[in-house]
Amino acid sequence: MEFLAFLVTQCLNALSQAALLFFLGCGLTLIFGIMRIVNFAHGAFFMLGAYVGYSTVHWTGSFWIALIVAPILVGGFGAAFELGILRRLYGRDGHAFLMVTFGLTLIMGEVIRLIWGVEALQVKPPAGLSDIVFILDEPFPVYRLFLVGSGIVVALLIWQFLERTRLGLLIRATSQNAEMVYALGTDVRLVRSAVFGIGCGLAGIGGVMAAPLVTASLGMAPNAVIDTFVIVIIGGMGSFAGSLIGAILVAFVQVFGTYYFPDFALAFMYLIMVTVLVVRPGGLLGKEA
Amino acid sequence: MTGSSGVSRRTLLGVTLASPVVLRHALGDEPIKIGMPCALTGPAGEVGEQMRRGAEFWIKSVNAKGGLLGRPIQLFAQDTAGDPATCVRKAQDAVERDGCRLLFGMTLSSEALAVVPKLADWNAIFMSSDNGDGRLTGSSFVPNFFRANTSGPMGTRAVALYLRTAGFKNFCALGMDYAWGHNSIGVFKDEVKKSGKNFIADIYSPIGTQDFSTYITKIRQSGADACYLVLQGDDNNAFLSQAQQYRLGDKVQLLTEIVDLNSIHAVGDAAIGLIGGSRYTFTFPGDANAQFVAAWQKEYGVVPDVFEGEQWQACQMLQAGIEKAGSIDADKLRPALETVEIDSIKGKVAMRACDHQAVQRGFMVKVVRKEGFKDPIPELIATFPADQITPACRQMTYDT
Repeated sequence: MEFLAFLVTQCLNALSQAALLFFLGCGLTLIFGIMRIVNFAHGAFFMLGAYVGYSTVHWTGSFWIALIVAPILVGGFGAAFELGILRRLYGRDGHAFLMVTFGLTLIMGEVIRLIWGVEALQVKPPAGLSDIVFILDEPFPVYRLFLVGSGIVVALLIWQFLERTRLGLLIRATSQNAEMVYALGTDVRLVRSAVFGIGCGLAGIGGVMAAPLVTASLGMAPNAVIDTFVIVIIGGMGSFAGSLIGAILVAFVQVFGTYYFPDFALAFMYLIMVTVLVVRPGGLLGKEA
Repeated sequence: MTGSSGVSRRTLLGVTLASPVVLRHALGDEPIKIGMPCALTGPAGEVGEQMRRGAEFWIKSVNAKGGLLGRPIQLFAQDTAGDPATCVRKAQDAVERDGCRLLFGMTLSSEALAVVPKLADWNAIFMSSDNGDGRLTGSSFVPNFFRANTSGPMGTRAVALYLRTAGFKNFCALGMDYAWGHNSIGVFKDEVKKSGKNFIADIYSPIGTQDFSTYITKIRQSGADACYLVLQGDDNNAFLSQAQQYRLGDKVQLLTEIVDLNSIHAVGDAAIGLIGGSRYTFTFPGDANAQFVAAWQKEYGVVPDVFEGEQWQACQMLQAGIEKAGSIDADKLRPALETVEIDSIKGKVAMRACDHQAVQRGFMVKVVRKEGFKDPIPELIATFPADQITPACRQMTYDT
C-alpha cells in the first residue's frame, strides 16, 4: 500500500469514527451545558437507538426511516424521562443525578434484554451504501464516507440551530444564566426538557449509524459511554465546539496510535485527557476551571 | 428467540410436571433424577440455554417411549450465572436436596473444575457436554467425570491439521488482548511453524474494541493470505461486519477456532467465507444426524445449534451407559460408561477408560449461503479421523 493511500484512508477512518463519537459527545455536552448534570445514561440511549433502528429496519425494510424514527423515539423518551423524573431532582446535589441516570442505564439494559433478547442483532447498511469505492487503489466502504458526511452535516445543522434559531438562542442564554432567562419570562424548564430530548435524540442517531459497524448489542452502552466522557472532558464540559474537537482528536489518536503504537493505543486517549486536565482543567474550550 | 423459548418452557413443564405424576403411576417406579446446574444468565447464558434445551429434548423423547430402564427421567435445571462458587452450591443442592446421582451442565470449565473434586463424595456421575479445558481429562481427572464433547485442545487440533493440507502459506492472527487471545495465538503460531509455513504477524485488540478499521488495514498490509481470529462476542461481530465492508475476505482468508450459528445470525452475510473448526453443526452427514435435526426442527421450528447437538450426544452416551449397566448406581455405571460406544450425530463415538474422553472425529466448516435458509450456514469441508484428533491419554498437547 502506498503511503499516500494509507494516509488518506486512515484519515477517513478517523473521521468516520469521529462522526460517531461526535453524535454522542455533542448530546452529552449540550445536556451538561444547560443542566449541569452528567447524564450517565447517555450510552444506554445510544444503545436504545441501535435497537429501535434494528426494529424499524426489520419492519419497514428501510434504513432511512430508521434514521428518522430512532432519534424521535429515543429523544421523546429522553424528554419524558426529564419531565417525569429528573425535574423533581433539580434542588438536590449532583449525586442524585448520577444515581438516577446510572439506575436508568441498568433498567434500560434489562428492558432491552427482555424485549430484544441477548443475541447481537444485525443491521445492514442501506443498499446504496454497502458498496466500496477505490481511493488511490485502496478499497474503502461507502458507508464510512456516509458517516463522515453525516457528521459534517449534523455538526453544521446544530451550529446553525444554536446560532440562528430562537430555541438555540434560549439554549445558549440558559447555559450562561438560567435565572436571568427565567426572570425575562421564558420557561426554563421547557428549555431543559427540550435539550435533554435533543441530546438523547443525537445519541439515538449515533446508535442507528453505529449499528451496521458493531451490530446492536448489549455491550454498546458501556463501551460507548467511556469514550464519550473522555471527549467531552477534553473538549470542555458544555462546549459544543469542544465536543467536535474532542471527537476528532480522540478518533485520530486512536486510529494512528493503534497503528504505530498498538500496545499503548488505549493509553494515548487517557494521556491526552490527563494532559488537558493539567494544562486547562476546564477542557480545551471549557469555561470553568 | 421468543418462539423457541415459549416451546422450551412448555417442554420443561411437560418434563417436570407430567412425567413424575403420570409416568410414575404408569410404570410404577421412581424417576431417574438428573441435576443440571448451568449458566442460564450472564455472558455464557446463551450456551447454557442451548445445553438445557438439548437435555429437555432428550428427556421428552425418552419419556415418550416409556422412560429409561422403565423409569421416567426428571431434570433439575438451575441457573449458576456462570459463577463457580454458585455452581458448586447448586450441584450440591441437586445431589443432597433433590437426590440426583447424575449431573449434566456446568457450562464453563471453571465451574466444572470446581465441581469435579466433590463427585466422589456425592457418589455422582457427571457427563460433560461442553467443557473445553483439557485439564478435566488430564491433570484434574476424577473417575466420576466423563467428557462426551470435543475438548478445546481437540478443536484447535482440527484447525491445525487443516492448515497442513490447505494451500495457505503466510499467516497472521488477530486476537483479543488478554489471556485467551494470547494463549490461542501462541498455540496457533506453533502449529503454523510445525507445518512448515510462515507466521508473519500477531495483532491484539483491546476487549470492547468498536472500530476495527486500523486492524483491518494492518491485516491487509501484513501480506498474509490467511488470518486466524481469536475474537468473541461483540468484538467478533464488530470485526466481521467491518471486515466485510472493507472486502477483506477478497484478499485474506479468515479462519477461526469455533463457528457457531449465533455469531452467523448476528452478522449475516458478513460471515460468508469464514472457515473454522466445528464441534457440531446441523449439516453434518449421516442418518443419525438427519433424524436428530428433523425431530428438533419439528419440536422447535429451528435447526439445532452447536451445544444443543453436543448435549444430545452426551445424553445418548449416558443413556447407552445406563442401559448397559442396568442401573444408575455410580459403581455399576462407571465401568459400563468406560467402554460405551454409540452411533452418534457426529458418527461413531467411543468413550475410553483411561481418561474418560470420548474419542471422536474433528471437523472443519466453511460458512456459505444456501437456498432455503435465512442466514448463511456452516458447510462441512474437512473431516479428520478420531485417532488424530484425540490426544494421548490424559494429555493436552500433541507430539506430531
